Amino acid sequence: MTKELEHSFVELLEKHQNIVHKVCRIYTNNQDAHNDLFQEIAIQLWKAYPEFRGDSKFSTWMYRVGLNTAITLYRKSKRSIDTQDYEVVQFKLTNEPYDDTEEQQLKLLYKAVHQLNDIEKALVFLYLEDKNYNEISETLGITEVNARVKMNRVKTKLKTILNP
Amino acid sequence: MDELDILKKDWQKEDSRYPKLSYNDIYKMILKKSSSIVKWIFIISILEFVFWTVISFALKDADFNKKFESYNAENIMIPFMVLGYLILAYFLYKFFMNYRTISVTDNAKLLMENILKTRRTVKLYVAFNLIYLVVSAFLVLGIEFNRDETMIATIDKASANGELFKFYAITILATALVLALCIGLFLVFYYLIYGLLLKRLNNNYKELKKLEV
Repeated sequence: MTKELEHSFVELLEKHQNIVHKVCRIYTNNQDAHNDLFQEIAIQLWKAYPEFRGDSKFSTWMYRVGLNTAITLYRKSKRSIDTQDYEVVQFKLTNEPYDDTEEQQLKLLYKAVHQLNDIEKALVFLYLEDKNYNEISETLGITEVNARVKMNRVKTKLKTILNP
Repeated sequence: MDELDILKKDWQKEDSRYPKLSYNDIYKMILKKSSSIVKWIFIISILEFVFWTVISFALKDADFNKKFESYNAENIMIPFMVLGYLILAYFLYKFFMNYRTISVTDNAKLLMENILKTRRTVKLYVAFNLIYLVVSAFLVLGIEFNRDETMIATIDKASANGELFKFYAITILATALVLALCIGLFLVFYYLIYGLLLKRLNNNYKELKKLEV
């Protein structure tokens, strides 16, 4: 039974692993920290998997566990000390046509997002993932109105970071 | 188009930028041990329960306590000890019940609240122990004033010299000072351990609470 459960879980996580990678991308600054957080999220997902009823989509369920791990449970390792390696690696990996202005702008944007606090990052992450305010409010445990208000503040904050 | 929408366009563009972990990579990961703060809080809390229980047993076996038995103060000390164990049982029960409610699939705010609740139970237990320590120290002092022969002789001598008030004041003050020092050390210790462990959680919880106002 456990073997079957393990198998089905690993298969699902393998299929949806990008969600976890994206959480790690928002919350970490370099590859080591990324791997560290990925591992902790994988463990938390696996521990909570017996509770997963299948009445929600596995991916939706992953957002919640992933963010909860990043915001609440994860203890930052020493390796998460800021370095810029990560950004460079990420950008080299994209196969898009080279556009210096756009690339520069995106680089600054990602950098600005990294300066937000954990809750603001969670909002940005869910927004980028195209989640509606209802889902955002349910994931974070705040009201929909407050989620909207906070989102607007985050947008303003990002503008201020980008144009000081 | 605002900044976040520019970012969103890039974010959703393609997924090939992320490493692709294999089935085996993921399988190996889930066999590893978690290092979440909930696990650390659990370990530290259990150590706290063990520490205070060991302390109370150690004190019971100490020579000092054997001497204390000769004062025939069992009618005060035994109910006091029974009360201590009952309260320990209550806190252990509360702690495990709280711990069981922590679920990573709850929403972020509820998860934080449940973790803080578990932590608060242990905090109350520690506060209880510190109060218990102070009350027993003064209780012991009171009994010694009345039953300990050396103490009675010293009191009589002080009384004859007209320094009875001074004697009481110095003894009580010295006891209070030692206790304050012990409590101070404990508080620094707890502040450091939990302060470091829960700093991030507390900040994030405050941030979520702030949205409610």
